[in-house]
Amino acid sequence: MLMDGNRTQDLRRMYTLFSRVNALESLRQALSSYIRKTGQGIVMDEEKDKDMVFSLLEFKVSLDKIWEDSFSKNDVFCNTIKEAFEHLINLRQNRPAELIAKFLDEKLRAGNKGTSEEELEGTLDKVLVLFRFIQGKDVFEAFYKKDLAKRLLLGKSASIDAEKSMISKLKTECGSQFTNKLEGMFKDIELSKEINESFKQSSQARTKLPSGIEMSVHVLTTGYWPTYPPMDVCLPHELNVYQDIFKEFYLSKYSGRRLMWQNSLGHCVLKAEFPKGKKELAVSLFQVGCVLCSCMVAILSMMFSSHSNHVNGQYVIQTVVLMLFNDAQKLSFQDIKDATSIEDKELRRTLQSLACGKIRVLQKIPKGREVDDNDSFMFNDGFTAPLYRIKVNAIQLKETVEENASTTERVFQDRQYQVDAAIVRIMKTRKVLSHTLLITELFQQLKFPIKPVDLKKRIESLIDREYLERDKSNPQIYNYLA
Amino acid sequence: MPRTASKKGPANSSSSSAVDLFRSASGKAATKELERIDQLYYSYANNLSGMIDPEGIESLCSDLKVDHTDVRILMLAWKMQAEKQGYFTLEEWRKGLKALRADTIIKLKKALPELEKEVRRPSNYVEFYSYAFRYCLTEEKQKSIDIESICELLELVLGLQFRPQVDLFVQYLRTQIDYKVINMDQWMGFYRFCQEISFPDFSNYDAELAWPLILDNFVEWVRSKQT
Repeated sequence: MLMDGNRTQDLRRMYTLFSRVNALESLRQALSSYIRKTGQGIVMDEEKDKDMVFSLLEFKVSLDKIWEDSFSKNDVFCNTIKEAFEHLINLRQNRPAELIAKFLDEKLRAGNKGTSEEELEGTLDKVLVLFRFIQGKDVFEAFYKKDLAKRLLLGKSASIDAEKSMISKLKTECGSQFTNKLEGMFKDIELSKEINESFKQSSQARTKLPSGIEMSVHVLTTGYWPTYPPMDVCLPHELNVYQDIFKEFYLSKYSGRRLMWQNSLGHCVLKAEFPKGKKELAVSLFQVGCVLCSCMVAILSMMFSSHSNHVNGQYVIQTVVLMLFNDAQKLSFQDIKDATSIEDKELRRTLQSLACGKIRVLQKIPKGREVDDNDSFMFNDGFTAPLYRIKVNAIQLKETVEENASTTERVFQDRQYQVDAAIVRIMKTRKVLSHTLLITELFQQLKFPIKPVDLKKRIESLIDREYLERDKSNPQIYNYLA
Repeated sequence: MPRTASKKGPANSSSSSAVDLFRSASGKAATKELERIDQLYYSYANNLSGMIDPEGIESLCSDLKVDHTDVRILMLAWKMQAEKQGYFTLEEWRKGLKALRADTIIKLKKALPELEKEVRRPSNYVEFYSYAFRYCLTEEKQKSIDIESICELLELVLGLQFRPQVDLFVQYLRTQIDYKVINMDQWMGFYRFCQEISFPDFSNYDAELAWPLILDNFVEWVRSKQT
């Protein structure tokens, strides 16, 4: 009522009045339930997920203002606000953490014109306050890491300074263990720049790489970066050659390392000669496999991933598909599938991006939005576009709902391992422990929210796997089985 | 004080011949008994495998005038410590029948009520109950039993003693979808449950204790049905 209307003067009068008659406690309680109720409305409304973080930020700002203006910065009231916020933000498992990570991703990504550095800093700080209330911080970490990786690899960060500022804020908040891997990612990017410089100067590049081909590689360390599912694809011969040239160079500098190409995030700029004009197409590596009669692969961004030391990922899919059309005018879906070995769903997405969207580098026969088994594809002779350089790789940045679900799944799976490890660790030390004491210890040790039911499940699983047993004489007690 | 006869002690020379006589007499009797037990075995055993197989057991049951699904057959298997469901080996047969002092079908039939009494003694029953579960594990690395078989086993083994609990639990097992199999821990848990928890109110049941989760869910299910 008064709160919703932001009637600070009235609230102030109320506060002063109540404090005179020693009734502040009831005011405080009313405040608490108001915050919880309103907050719950924001957090639990699934349809308004897109705006959740923004609404929460605004809500917090208005609360803080009222605290200042009407409640005389009362300490107890300050705590009440904090407690209520912590309660409401954790009402819904994981989603707020995921949305906060996404919100940050949007803010840190390039294209946010009009936001000054100060404004951005201010927003980051406010978001951090929300983050502090989240109990399942590992969910946030998983999403933040994924999005950061994409921003870094695709060069989409608005400002590296802002990125680093965010990391140091997280570090202050959660300790260095939380941010170690994130910092490692930055180091890899910087190191890759140096490596690329030397590569350009190297003998391998100068003698073996055909002129007109520019190649840059991100070399990543496994363990710092998210794991990318291996994408099977048959690269056109030329691309394989270029990859080998780089590999030779790299291993000559850093022997004893294993490199693995990760083709899922590579992107290229292809110079294409269409009858109606030359164009540069920015495509994913998978798209490259398909097009171009007289194409020159102008710039290849590829990534190496090494087993013991380095990891990387790049999308090569569009490139691969496009390059097939170097040697053929018309290809059926099955032909393309056989030649590239790209996984079915992925291939359909790629072909859609090349033939069914706004930019149609290929023609699909018959026309339509969906890619069916019997479709064929042709190089689009009649292709025109106003700009010289065209982006055809919109797919890469968008995440599927499946990807997000699987990220959350992985966090849960990881939590399960942590619970198991904690139980074994505790039982190994104590040898014999009662059920209730074990549960208490687990709640103390585990840093993420978990229900007693889930703990029971893991205990039973460990009994089944013979790590522990119930005591024969007292079933409330567990014995450690060495 | 009468001198207690000790098996291991040296035979007293004065009564040695009596002991020997007794021994040889009982020895002969014992051998005869063993022979008859073996003969009985071979009358039911399969010629090829040398074991009593399900067919043999069926015929044994009809001779005993007991249904082959009767719990007393399971008790007999327990007495024999039979390992494989549906089969008796010579060793197992000998062990069981010797303990029951039965070397003919008639004696075996007469021994059944005693056997049942013995099994149902509280100190033995928990062992029998756990044996019943193990007996149903047919595959080598198998650790759990499917729901339907568990329902039948519960009926067989606890139906007499804890009819209402079994009925309710079986109903729960057949309606729920979380569990497709039951393991030994859950099986034993249910027996403890029947013994300790007041029925039908479950008033002394505490889900925060170490009861297997399936029982927590069972109690919740019953309670939600009651409201």
